[in-house]
Amino acid sequence: MRHAFAVRIGPVGFRIGSDWRAPIAHLETLYRDYPKPLDGVPDFTVRLFARRPWRRFLRPSVEIGGDYMLPDAAPLPLRQGLLAAEMAMNLQMALGARRYLLLHASAVERDGRALLMTGISGAGKSTLATLLAAKGWRFMGDEFALLDPASGLIHAFPRLISLKNEAIAAAEAVCPDARMGPLMPATPKGDIRHMVPDARAIAAMDVPARPALLVFPRYGFAPEIRSVQPGEAFVRMTQASTNYVALGEAGFRALTGLIGDVPSVAVDYPDGASAIEQVEALWATV
Amino acid sequence: MSDDTRSHYDPADHGSAAPSADGAGTGAEAVPTRRRVLALGAVTAGAVVSIRPALAQTVGSVLNCQIPVPDPGRAGSYIDADGRVVPARTKGAFPPSTRPFKGEEVKRAMANGSTLPGVDSERSRAYVKYIRRLQRGQGGFTCFASLQMPRG
Amino acid sequence: MHDSLYRAPPEGGLLVAPLDEFTAVYHRASGITHLLTEPAPQILAILGDGALSLDALLDRLARDYDLTDGDLTDRDLTDGTREALAARLAELVESGLVERA
Repeated sequence: MRHAFAVRIGPVGFRIGSDWRAPIAHLETLYRDYPKPLDGVPDFTVRLFARRPWRRFLRPSVEIGGDYMLPDAAPLPLRQGLLAAEMAMNLQMALGARRYLLLHASAVERDGRALLMTGISGAGKSTLATLLAAKGWRFMGDEFALLDPASGLIHAFPRLISLKNEAIAAAEAVCPDARMGPLMPATPKGDIRHMVPDARAIAAMDVPARPALLVFPRYGFAPEIRSVQPGEAFVRMTQASTNYVALGEAGFRALTGLIGDVPSVAVDYPDGASAIEQVEALWATV
Repeated sequence: MSDDTRSHYDPADHGSAAPSADGAGTGAEAVPTRRRVLALGAVTAGAVVSIRPALAQTVGSVLNCQIPVPDPGRAGSYIDADGRVVPARTKGAFPPSTRPFKGEEVKRAMANGSTLPGVDSERSRAYVKYIRRLQRGQGGFTCFASLQMPRG
Repeated sequence: MHDSLYRAPPEGGLLVAPLDEFTAVYHRASGITHLLTEPAPQILAILGDGALSLDALLDRLARDYDLTDGDLTDRDLTDGTREALAARLAELVESGLVERA
């Protein structure tokens, strides 16, 4: 592993090792304003490696490895090496995180309180978080929200925002000054481009927030707001957490606490503007 | 799960437990000391659901996954027309796939019956049946499970 | 006929969080979370105090509640509720929350 990079995002430090310079160069550029792991000790290691020595040069193919691995992981071409690095970091969190209950949700903060948006890929978690951040909310993360079982607070995990397909142009329009990674067309997840969170998000990454609203967005429907009953919200969140079972009792208390304290609402929306309008109106009521 | 609960959103509702059904109303005002009704449910109804671990949904969004046929633990074994793993060179069965299939390829094949790339339709059908039979713990299961999650 | 006794984890064996018509329950011994709806939480509460047979449980529930089996047929109510309770107990045993001695 001749190339390496270390970075801290919120409370989690990563060290990424790579057989190739290119993905590391991208990471260095895009994460240049982020701190290093606390005391230089990372929480997770990621490796981007070539399965055979010659695959470093011939049709270079990036395999993902690290502390936590899944045998099902498929390699990516070197031109998508940055995506491989980001996916590998996600995988470490998904499989290895134990200090916080991981919620598959985006999060933004206002006045010390957090808005969580959760749903399947394509529901709009990343896009909505980006749009809200452009409207003055503090961006906390677009992939995972970290729930502290001890305090019930949400901790920020502001990684590079992963924009897919139409969301790329939408985000570029709303945040013309944002720093962007390379456009990677035709990845297994579609066209992807990463956006660096704004300076405020990076500066405030160690400031947690009390969760106040849980939204289940659904893109491509006429605007509608529906209450989600606590029982249903609880079950959906157990499915939206990769480490709920692993955390055992602490996970149970944290999640039932969250669902008990915070209203859950389903928001259908046809476009970003409608979503923002509905969410802002909801926020005024909580 | 779908969010089919159609109650109109009212912030005042939040947090209050749903009031229990009070049995068939008699029309007269409820007697304060009347006992609560406990519905035991019909024999075929259920009252207990166990929460299953949920790696598949999140992994599906964070991982680019692939499914080998058969799984590495049974490498070299053949796949019969029903998707079962059988000893190598069993008559009528298909040899293992030369390369793992990408999650997207399998998803497409399952969605519209198209053939997996690089194999003929009979062999593809056998492979797809094999994949459908994957159990937790077998290589490719997590990938397969993540394909089942609707992606929106 | 030997009458089975049913018992639930004693005080401290379960974490119980009522949510709405559903109650989330964490079973410490197994680490498994279950989502329960009426009458399961009520059954667990009673069986947590001490083991009971099906008939004793039925009597105890009938003392505290007006029982219905949710079935609208014209059968004798006692038969319907006993059958329904047996089905609920079977589910609880299957899930590991109730032990059958």
